[in-house]
Amino acid sequence: MSEQMNGVLPRGVTQKKFNAAVEKFRALLGEGNVLLKAEQLIPYNKIMMSVENAAHAPSAVLTATTVEQVQGIVKICNQYRIPIWTISTGRNFGYGTAAPVQRGQVILDLKKMNRIIKIDPDMCTALVEPGVTFQQLYDYIEENKLPLMLSFSAPSAIAGPLGNTMDRGVGYTPYGEHFMMQCGMEVVLANGDIYRTGMGGVKGSNTWQIFKWGYGPTLDGMFTQANYGITTKMGFWLMPRPPVFKPFEVIFENEADIVEIVDILRPLRMAQIIPNSVVIANILWEAGSAHLRRRDYTTEPGHTPDPILEKMQKDSGMGAWNLYAALYGTQEQVDVNWKIITDAFRKHGKGRIVTQEEAGHKQPFKYRAELMSGVPNLQEFGLYNWRGGGGSMWFAPVSEARGSECEKQALLAKRILHKYGLDYVAEFIVAPRDMHHVIDVLYDRTSEEETKRADACFNELLDEFEKEGYAVYRVNTRFQERVARSYGPVKRYVEHAIKRALDPNNILAPGRSGIDLDAYATRRRAKGASSGES
Amino acid sequence: MSVDRRFVLKSMVLGGAAGVVLSRSLPVLGAPLSRSAIRPALALVGSGVAEAAFLQGARAAVGTQLQVLQMDPGLGFMLDFEQRLRAGRSLRVIGLLDDAAATLVLDLARSAGARIPWLGHHTGEAGSTRHRLLNTDLAEGCARQLSRHLHACGAGFTLDEERQGSAAPARQLAGPARNGAGSAQWAAGVGYLLATLGTRPTMMPRVSVQGTLPSGSFVSFSIEV
Repeated sequence: MSEQMNGVLPRGVTQKKFNAAVEKFRALLGEGNVLLKAEQLIPYNKIMMSVENAAHAPSAVLTATTVEQVQGIVKICNQYRIPIWTISTGRNFGYGTAAPVQRGQVILDLKKMNRIIKIDPDMCTALVEPGVTFQQLYDYIEENKLPLMLSFSAPSAIAGPLGNTMDRGVGYTPYGEHFMMQCGMEVVLANGDIYRTGMGGVKGSNTWQIFKWGYGPTLDGMFTQANYGITTKMGFWLMPRPPVFKPFEVIFENEADIVEIVDILRPLRMAQIIPNSVVIANILWEAGSAHLRRRDYTTEPGHTPDPILEKMQKDSGMGAWNLYAALYGTQEQVDVNWKIITDAFRKHGKGRIVTQEEAGHKQPFKYRAELMSGVPNLQEFGLYNWRGGGGSMWFAPVSEARGSECEKQALLAKRILHKYGLDYVAEFIVAPRDMHHVIDVLYDRTSEEETKRADACFNELLDEFEKEGYAVYRVNTRFQERVARSYGPVKRYVEHAIKRALDPNNILAPGRSGIDLDAYATRRRAKGASSGES
Repeated sequence: MSVDRRFVLKSMVLGGAAGVVLSRSLPVLGAPLSRSAIRPALALVGSGVAEAAFLQGARAAVGTQLQVLQMDPGLGFMLDFEQRLRAGRSLRVIGLLDDAAATLVLDLARSAGARIPWLGHHTGEAGSTRHRLLNTDLAEGCARQLSRHLHACGAGFTLDEERQGSAAPARQLAGPARNGAGSAQWAAGVGYLLATLGTRPTMMPRVSVQGTLPSGSFVSFSIEV
């Protein structure tokens, strides 16, 4: 085997050690599962963040097909101190794509571990491997005519339940809070042990995908958005397909209507009158999703001015805010809830209600209805053509489901984005008490100047929101260390104490959510190891 | 990108300071192109002016060895395309797509285990173009070739090239607008380069491209399975 010379190496790893590790990986996985050539690595280095690709370039990619291979990989990584960045389908897009958090990390791609291990149509549960996609599950359910419904994020078809849940992603059905519907994980720890959460450790148990909590501390959450293990199986609950599904939209003409929308909606969500994860999308999210392009309205640099947004509203019939929700159940249940909902909105005299019959196949209604009923589509990728240029970073602060709070966040975000010449492209995803305020910071990566501007903008969004007591629930890899600081020093201390206990060699995705033993120790030393750490 | 990491070709394209003289008849950089050296390819394109120019450029290199597949961003098309990538047959796909379609195509290519020796982002606006390339040694000479072509076309441009896996800094090339108009020639140039990728770069022909510089963003790629 010829000696490999890499321009990119993992942090602190010599070429000699790297080559030795590569030989071990090859022996374990076979030549074809150890990718080192530049043309094999480029597909993993297409990023959308405001930094050069080189900052997130992997040194190698490994593909594994079995749990035993994953165990073997962590053993080699421990021996040679090789950091690995694990992906399942790698469809994280505005949250960081497939590229590692730090330059030089070796990507462990679990796409080939793609078995649907079990779907139980009676208990409405599933157990899958990391590489399983929602499209695969959808096809399985359709082919077997199972009375079940999926919940997925907007990339739907090509994303997968394990990766999305481990990143605490959300969907649009009544099962839209995916981590809440997770039940049972199998995790390969850094020392190679296999840990099964919940009831999974009980020999002969048939309740691993039934009962979440098991006995003693419940640790599932600890492995999400974290780097304490590699999840190789995950169970989750599936919603029984309801006999009646009734999607609808409520269109609001004014930006200021967000206050009333949310305050009308909250009691309906809390009482489960509206059971699903409702979306309230602004005009630009709608426009992008409907495959409109900014240059069709203006070629002026900077943000899109309000008069143009108003013209778009007038031309397209889209609202300043567009609420999408659905009812599920028997005809009697749906009828009762429909009356409550329509009464609530009509009482306020604002909002134009659109039913599926009225909308027909019009976009974005069609794809929203599909997402709310577990039918995959790729419609929302149209957002990437709104401004173009390949830059997308999702800024996703959490908000109270209170109208005044949503308005405050919307105005703050819009002001900052406009200051940097970028558009406020946003949606709120509504749980009973909280909202995920997801803003797609779209920019042109072919422009160095605009890329720098987007970077500064994202930093300012984080800073200014933090001053108001807000923080994001998830962020792309460029900003994970920065966001970790928002959550305070004690949390970071605990996270690193766990990391030291479970992964003392710091081989599993160091830097994920800001958890990195080496960087933490360096900062502590710099600060004189005082009590606090930021 | 910091200034000290730049390799700026401005002086070359402006004044021939490096001894390169640019003219409308572009210089031959390598041996005359032999069509037998070029592998057949499938071109995956959208329906705009830039995409048409891309095809013209690719055809100028490949001739009838180029098959064309019209992009459809729907789920059905994407799943069919994925099947094609996973069919186990040798396949080379070159293309020019919008950002949304390219995001999907390139991600499906990654999952299918494809190799991507060239990934380019291109933006045209206000009489100038911007190009950002991420490529491999296979594309050696292509950025320079493209910059010469862009200069000959007359539109102002910037071109950044990152070489995957290289410790070397990104290369930055630029040229001023000379005639204020510009056209989709840049896309023809990219099509030609992608069609000939892996062969020695040679004279890039100018093709007859209708209309003015199309504004918008595009992604070019070469996918190999």
